Amino acid sequence: MKCQRCKKLACVALPSHHAGFCKDCYPLFFTRQVETAIRREKMFTHDDRILVALSGGKDSLALMLELKLQGYDVTGLHIDLGIPNSSEGARSKVEKFCDAHDLKLDVFEMEKWGLPIPDVKQYIDRPVCSICGKMKRHHFNRIAREGGYDAVATGHNLDDEVARLFANTLRWDTAYLSDQGPTLPAAEGFVRKVKPLFRLSEFETANYSFLKGIDIHSAPCPYSTGASFTNHKELWGELEFRSPGQKFQFYNGFMQRGKAAFANLEKETGATLHPCDTCGSPTSVGTCSVCRIKASVAVKKAEWLSESEYEAARARA
Amino acid sequence: MITVNLEPDGKVIELRRTRSVLGALNKLKLRSTMAIVVREDELLTADRKLYNGDTIMVRKVTSAG
Repeated sequence: MKCQRCKKLACVALPSHHAGFCKDCYPLFFTRQVETAIRREKMFTHDDRILVALSGGKDSLALMLELKLQGYDVTGLHIDLGIPNSSEGARSKVEKFCDAHDLKLDVFEMEKWGLPIPDVKQYIDRPVCSICGKMKRHHFNRIAREGGYDAVATGHNLDDEVARLFANTLRWDTAYLSDQGPTLPAAEGFVRKVKPLFRLSEFETANYSFLKGIDIHSAPCPYSTGASFTNHKELWGELEFRSPGQKFQFYNGFMQRGKAAFANLEKETGATLHPCDTCGSPTSVGTCSVCRIKASVAVKKAEWLSESEYEAARARA
Repeated sequence: MITVNLEPDGKVIELRRTRSVLGALNKLKLRSTMAIVVREDELLTADRKLYNGDTIMVRKVTSAG
């Protein structure tokens, strides 16, 4: 296959674009897609301060590097989840990446905050992935708000967005369908959220990361085994193979023709938000779910520790 | 024989009678946009030929959390 631009030997083939690119031209394709996303969705400008959520994976690191190369004022934020044999590796990759590219980085440690994710898994009887995601979104927003940032950018790609839209559609979750999109405008207590990679698939970000020599954290989270979004991505991978371009059509069609109906419905039935009694983050009830989970884990952990001490004392006697 | 270093699984797989990247991906039950394939630091498209003794890295792209 030949490169569509320069006719050299292609190293990346993109069936959904009916195109192939060589190693020199592919980054230009990637850059154009990100530029288009930022411009069309009015994500941010060169005057804005942008906090970029960095997990250590290919998407977030590729996003950070690309935004820096495009001249944006970016600062990375990594959340150390405190998961043994996983979080140390992810954090190390992020720190080394930011050092190598002279990028600003903040690290927030869940353990120091009092709620490492292993405690959530042990003491809360709900899927840990959904709570972990909620915690991360909470802290991204809080830290961006407190730091005076104009936008929080995440590395969500087209596959992430399609899998999420598909899951929300399967449940007809009107609240989530009403605000899914590449740009979520700032609202009371919420900093603007943007997804500049939404036009690019995971395959496309993986190729970019490789060509840019980004050393990524690729090991899956030990807690994510069997997560439904992975199954949905596999289903969509097969659909995309049979009909290239279908992922973007599904997502773009929803944005253009479907989302407004759900947004209107949510305006009529949606909850009113107030600052959380404990942390000040927006919530529809008195205390936000993140603070409630934190308090619940603290109570259950204390009960478990006192029971363990009692059993140990009995064993000694 | 082709040696495949499969990531992020960390497995090493040996494939016989495989003459192209597409053939290797088919044997690994992967579609061409579900993994990147690298030989000696060079990204390969699915139509590229493989040769006896080649070692390739196949990195699945689906992030799992």
